[in-house]
Amino acid sequence: MTGHKGLALAWAMVVCLLLGHNAYLWLGQRIVPDTDILALLPVQERDPVLQQSFSHMVDAAQQRVIVLVGAPDWAGAQRAADAYGAVLASRPGLLEQAKLDGQAESDWLAPFQAHRLALLTAQQERDLRDQPPAFWTGNALARLYSAFAGPKLGAFRDDPFGLFGGWVQERAQETPVRPRDGRLFVADAERQYVLLPLTLAAPAFSMAAQEAVLPLLGRAAAAARQAAPGVQVISAGVVLHAAAASSQASGEVETIGLGSLAGIVLLTWFTFHSLKPIGLVLLSIGIGFLGSLSVCWLLFGRVHLLTLVFGASLIGVAQDYGMYFLCNRLAADPACDSARLLKRLLPSLGLTLLAAVIGYLGLAFTPFPGLRHMAVFSAVGLVFAWLTVVCWFPLLVGGGALRSGRLARVYGAALARWPRFRIGRAALAVLAAFAVLAGFGWSRLTADDDIRSLQTPPPQLVSDQLKLGKLLDAPTPVQYFLVRGASSEAVLQREEALKHRLDPLVAARAISGYQALSNWVPSARTQAERRVLVESRLLGEGGPLTQLGKAIGEDAAWSAATRAHLLAPQAPLTAEEFLSTPPSEPWRHLWLGQVGSVHASIVALRGLDYAALPLLRHAGDGIEGVQWVDKVGEISSVLGRYRQYMGWAVLAAYALVFALLLPRYRGRAWRVLAPTALASIATLAVLGLTAQPLQLFHVLALMLLLGVGVDYGIFMQEQPDRRHAAPWLAVGLSAANTILSFGLLGLSRTPALHAFGLTMLIGTALVWLAVPCFTAETNESAHAPATTD
Amino acid sequence: MKRIFSALTAAALLCASAHAAAPIARIQAMLAKPDVMCGRFDQTKHLAGMNKPLASSGRFCVVAGKGVLWRTLKPFPNTLRLTRDEIVHFEGDRVAMRLDAKQEPTVRMINSVLFSLLSGDLAQLESLFEVEGSADAVGWKVALKARAPALAKAIGAIALDGGAYVRNIHIGEASGDRTDIVFADIKTGEAALLPEEAALF
Repeated sequence: MTGHKGLALAWAMVVCLLLGHNAYLWLGQRIVPDTDILALLPVQERDPVLQQSFSHMVDAAQQRVIVLVGAPDWAGAQRAADAYGAVLASRPGLLEQAKLDGQAESDWLAPFQAHRLALLTAQQERDLRDQPPAFWTGNALARLYSAFAGPKLGAFRDDPFGLFGGWVQERAQETPVRPRDGRLFVADAERQYVLLPLTLAAPAFSMAAQEAVLPLLGRAAAAARQAAPGVQVISAGVVLHAAAASSQASGEVETIGLGSLAGIVLLTWFTFHSLKPIGLVLLSIGIGFLGSLSVCWLLFGRVHLLTLVFGASLIGVAQDYGMYFLCNRLAADPACDSARLLKRLLPSLGLTLLAAVIGYLGLAFTPFPGLRHMAVFSAVGLVFAWLTVVCWFPLLVGGGALRSGRLARVYGAALARWPRFRIGRAALAVLAAFAVLAGFGWSRLTADDDIRSLQTPPPQLVSDQLKLGKLLDAPTPVQYFLVRGASSEAVLQREEALKHRLDPLVAARAISGYQALSNWVPSARTQAERRVLVESRLLGEGGPLTQLGKAIGEDAAWSAATRAHLLAPQAPLTAEEFLSTPPSEPWRHLWLGQVGSVHASIVALRGLDYAALPLLRHAGDGIEGVQWVDKVGEISSVLGRYRQYMGWAVLAAYALVFALLLPRYRGRAWRVLAPTALASIATLAVLGLTAQPLQLFHVLALMLLLGVGVDYGIFMQEQPDRRHAAPWLAVGLSAANTILSFGLLGLSRTPALHAFGLTMLIGTALVWLAVPCFTAETNESAHAPATTD
Repeated sequence: MKRIFSALTAAALLCASAHAAAPIARIQAMLAKPDVMCGRFDQTKHLAGMNKPLASSGRFCVVAGKGVLWRTLKPFPNTLRLTRDEIVHFEGDRVAMRLDAKQEPTVRMINSVLFSLLSGDLAQLESLFEVEGSADAVGWKVALKARAPALAKAIGAIALDGGAYVRNIHIGEASGDRTDIVFADIKTGEAALLPEEAALF
């Protein structure tokens, strides 16, 4: 007993250290778990240029909230937008409103005018190559005399063939948004809208931001609706989705969480006539969690949110250790010393710990850092929780501290009548039927790793998003091309090669258009080619310009002067020069510039038809330095690979655990594992039969199921004599608690939680029911085994 | 005339501006503002760097609630139709160019300004221009100056004069190009619209 006191004291010191370290981490360092799911990729697969392109496209998009305030007339829309903005301004520092720069409007064209000969649309370039001189003369004459032939900027002699005007018009059509009265303006057939681009000051996934932003936007929209008749407010942003998801989740936490808590409290009360056991079990799990966090942080210097959440669930197995001890304490003679009781239980407790740790460590042999962290996290957590049980529980729970409740007695009695699995004709028939059913279920099992199927946004958000996408014709931030080259010139040239491939896709309506810096700044090579093209096809002696002069009665001097005016020497427009001008503002995010030793840029796609994704994926094939990026696909594929690796890890864990059990149980080792294996097979079959596609979260649950199932198997095999109710009670309590805490998540409407919970619900229930069937038969009339008091 | 369209398109792509009032009620009272109005136009352009002016002529129609038809007959026949949601340029029966509001949201704004210009709807024009005018017993004169710097730079100065209808439009651009349009033979009512013109609306 004194020896045990020393042990408990030593452990108390360790726990104090843990508490101190955790307080330092959370309060002092203010650590924040990683949330970028791509940080879970193997290190060698991470690519700094790709990461930077994500941060340009996705991270910026995550912080954006786009609001359109529309009314049937422009004045009404402006009033409503003012009312909207006034409400936002009442809470400064939450959402920043972009200011429109008046200077940018007036000098919009200036940077391009000096380079107009090199700025042509693709159609103009084709016409220059294919059309006869008469086409151009006729065209210029028609433009001279007709009332309207497209926009003309500056004097006629600056652009006699309307090439620059056509180019400007094409550029203007890259976005339907127009500055108007110092605001941004878009319109559809019913309404005129003021566009309000807002930037969220706090991270979109922070709960505080979500809680503050949503009511503010709601009040602003109400104010806008009051300001003018017929007002429509359309808003979209990642924060809105995040807020919808967390409000759904927190609503469920309230109902499901309260339900499961109430269930566990009642269960414990009726079993032990005391709530102390829950407190003790939570204490062990809590110390386990803090311990793994400390160790992981010391080892890796970071923790991913996914590791935290999954790892914490895997530590849930640790309740079995506490329950096992408490149930045995309940069944044992009150006179028996708790420390001696523990000594007796130690082999089986040790074995359960070892089995779970070895099972989880299988995850460490996958190439994914996320799974490795998870393995370390959960294994360390189990060890800490186990040590808490071993060091503290005997002192905290003395003999006679627990009394058996009525529920425990009724339940314990049920064991005696439980069927037992005996190899024979009936058992084979049952097995065969099971195999057929399971085989049928498995044959219908499919997998779905699409990240989008993990979200269920409210329909209002989806419809707003669609309307907004239609009105703004904005590019998708998650699918684009990444272009790299040794210099900015190389990048621009590769962009141009890519655009040649994309043009047929625009014609086929797979996309409505693309945004690229080379739309504004052609490569120097292209600029030179175009100048030569224009000079030779339009400005040559006897060419369209001379003929135009003749047609309007001007002499050769006019043609010569106009030619000289047009051909005035120009240095090519460079990307750097363009980027320093105000008109480049909306396009700067496309240019990554120099990243390490390469230059890179983004070609963004507008009006993407998702059915055409396979076509787009291969559109850049064969062009050096061009890479298709699909963040949705990327995340989905990470999830898919995690699912597969984890599946193998589960299988490997079964093998390892079996090897571990073999020395102690020999011929009975299979009896420990069989209930869990059968339950897992049956659970997968149920998923197949109910047409639920397999996800990472199902496989994760199977891993956890192995952890708890093996515990139940070991408890029952340690004392196979059916007259001993303690293990059966421990199994029942553990399983019921597991079902209440994890299984009830199956009621969640959040797909990931639903998948995880449902698997745990079916699996745990099946293991619980099956585990007594597989206990070895003992001669129950013989002496009680030496291991019982 | 082309200057107006061109400059407006260009400018509208970039910006637009609004509001204030001018003492133009008298001019407004003089204008007839019929539902349908057709007539003849003669346009003369003086382009920078050219010795000879470019002359063209044709017919125009302004139909309230529908839009504007601008038919150049000499020296090259072609027709321009501006309705609420699009601008269409015909060469004979062939559509040479079509710009609709879906592609270019400022089309509606351009068309409304043009309609106002031809019908002399000064109240409407005030949203984009500073309007300065004078009127006597027989007629009125108005000078328009764009409120937004970009628009002013693209269009330059516009001057209108007339009586019951707009008679002259003069546009002087910053680039040095000048355009004069004279309207004549103005008829009103449904009968003013020729059958081929009615068919185009």
